Amino acid sequence: MVVQQLINGITQGSIFALLAISFAVIYGVLRLVNFATGATYMMGAFAGWLTVQYVSQNIFLAMLAGLVTGWCIGFLIEKVAIKSLRGVARIASLICTIGFSIFMIEIATVVFGAETKAMPSFFNEKAFTLGGASVVWYQVFLICTAITILVLLQLLIFKTKAGLAIRTVSLDFKTAGLMGINVDRTISLAFSLGGATAGIAGVLGSVYYNIVNPTMGNLQGLKSFSAAVFGGLTSIPGAILGGYLLAIVENFGVQIVSGGYRDIIGFVILVGFLLFRPRGLLGKKASL
Amino acid sequence: MKKLQIAGVTLGILLLLSFPFIVPNPYLVRVAIMCGIYMVLASSLNIVIGFTGMFSLGHGAFYGIGAYTSALLALNLHWPFWVTFPLGGVMAALFGVLIGVATLRLRQIFLAFTTLGFGEITRILILNWDSLTRGPMGLPGIPIPSFFGVRFSQAGYYYFILLFTSLVVLFIYRLYHSRIGRAFIAIREDEVAASHMGIHLFGYKTLAFTIACAIAGLVGAFYAHFARFISADQFGGNESFAILTMVALGGTGSIVGPLLGAAVLIIFPEVFRFLAQFRMVIYGAILIFVIVVKPGGIVGVRGVFEKPVQALRAKRSHQKGGR
Repeated sequence: MVVQQLINGITQGSIFALLAISFAVIYGVLRLVNFATGATYMMGAFAGWLTVQYVSQNIFLAMLAGLVTGWCIGFLIEKVAIKSLRGVARIASLICTIGFSIFMIEIATVVFGAETKAMPSFFNEKAFTLGGASVVWYQVFLICTAITILVLLQLLIFKTKAGLAIRTVSLDFKTAGLMGINVDRTISLAFSLGGATAGIAGVLGSVYYNIVNPTMGNLQGLKSFSAAVFGGLTSIPGAILGGYLLAIVENFGVQIVSGGYRDIIGFVILVGFLLFRPRGLLGKKASL
Repeated sequence: MKKLQIAGVTLGILLLLSFPFIVPNPYLVRVAIMCGIYMVLASSLNIVIGFTGMFSLGHGAFYGIGAYTSALLALNLHWPFWVTFPLGGVMAALFGVLIGVATLRLRQIFLAFTTLGFGEITRILILNWDSLTRGPMGLPGIPIPSFFGVRFSQAGYYYFILLFTSLVVLFIYRLYHSRIGRAFIAIREDEVAASHMGIHLFGYKTLAFTIACAIAGLVGAFYAHFARFISADQFGGNESFAILTMVALGGTGSIVGPLLGAAVLIIFPEVFRFLAQFRMVIYGAILIFVIVVKPGGIVGVRGVFEKPVQALRAKRSHQKGGR
């Protein structure tokens, strides 16, 4: 039982971690939260669903579709909500991303309908039994994919020139600009990366939960934000840790409180951490 | 000119007062009542967003707390509307103080998320607390209020909300021009400067938040007795976003703005019925459009979305070659 909860937690945590890192990359560069992350997750899931329905039953193709959709959405949001709002109160950008969130969710409702669609399952065979808990191949696949993406992102951010630019801009964008870094392009890149991560997470999540609907991203986005705050918004490893920990805490918490209250756990953690340790578990002691 | 204005205002008041008699169409009167409800909601949210510059995304939750408090007291304890109505406001204010004390120290972005999270918690609690709220089935059969033994007709509801809206607008007008209102605006313009002028930031922020929550709770209580059926979904995130869009569209920080925004966004879907399924799409598009193209909203005040101080700072830094 404990092992089963732990495995479920790690699987769901992989999805949270991907979304949390999407928040962290953007927060790191701009000190701004992209509210439309949950909606991007949903759009990614729909892109994957469309691919599977009409193109081919291939999860890798679906993930590619999610990635491209997420990338484009991130890019577009940055152009409208960030770039055109230079020199305006930062909260305007936040509200603008809220506008995008509502817009995407409702467009999806109009186009695809509000009813829940089933995502076909992949790798649905039982892989092995571990301590009395059965593990499905898809869980293994999801965890491995998520970890691969997270490692790739780490490499991108800490080992490449573009990543160096992102890190520099997050330290001080004015100085970064003086040092010859193209700040605009870096911010745009961070947003696109965040969007792409959310898009892939959408495909992975929709297959795991077997659900595709316009509101699937709402709670997922909010909870992942809690996870990012939990681990530390300013730290990318922190956000990943927060994602996994939140899902594990949630899965064990359900044993104590009833299932209906499951979704509250994340918010309690969010409020608690914002009040008493706003920098999260691993975050830098910056002014939040 | 002055005479013309007075004549116009008098005509307007007369029109509002005689509305249920000129237009005996129950559907139109109902739209007018919904207009009043949302005008009050938008005006109260404007105290938080427009005057004080704090972003609360959980306003729908306080509206819901007021509605549920009043409905439950009336259904379970059979208390009259005139007692449960103020209690709805008191309950929402209590929650407002609690949430305010817990979150108002946070920076804007985090405040926005925490209040949104609180709204979700409220919705989930209402949905799951079956023994009290009947969960997803909602609360039907909320009693019709009566006035000296006469049960409210639709005109009764109309006059009640007309009077209440007028009182709220008058209250907000007086508040805006009072010492407290000026303190709110000082906080919006520059927190650091305001605190150096001796304004107790936390106290005034909590006060603004509590006032807004109390008003939302009161109108929620009214809504419960007007609609006579409430369920958790009516007070979710979409409700908060709709109110936010009304404030942004009308003009943050102005008194007339939220009234206009609410009226436009309530009447618009009624006129363009064939666009009904696009209602929230349009809300989202309006939110983006207003902020990017016309940050002052319809009224065109210098709203929260273009602060002079920050604009100046950004301009300077831009000249230096930064972002």
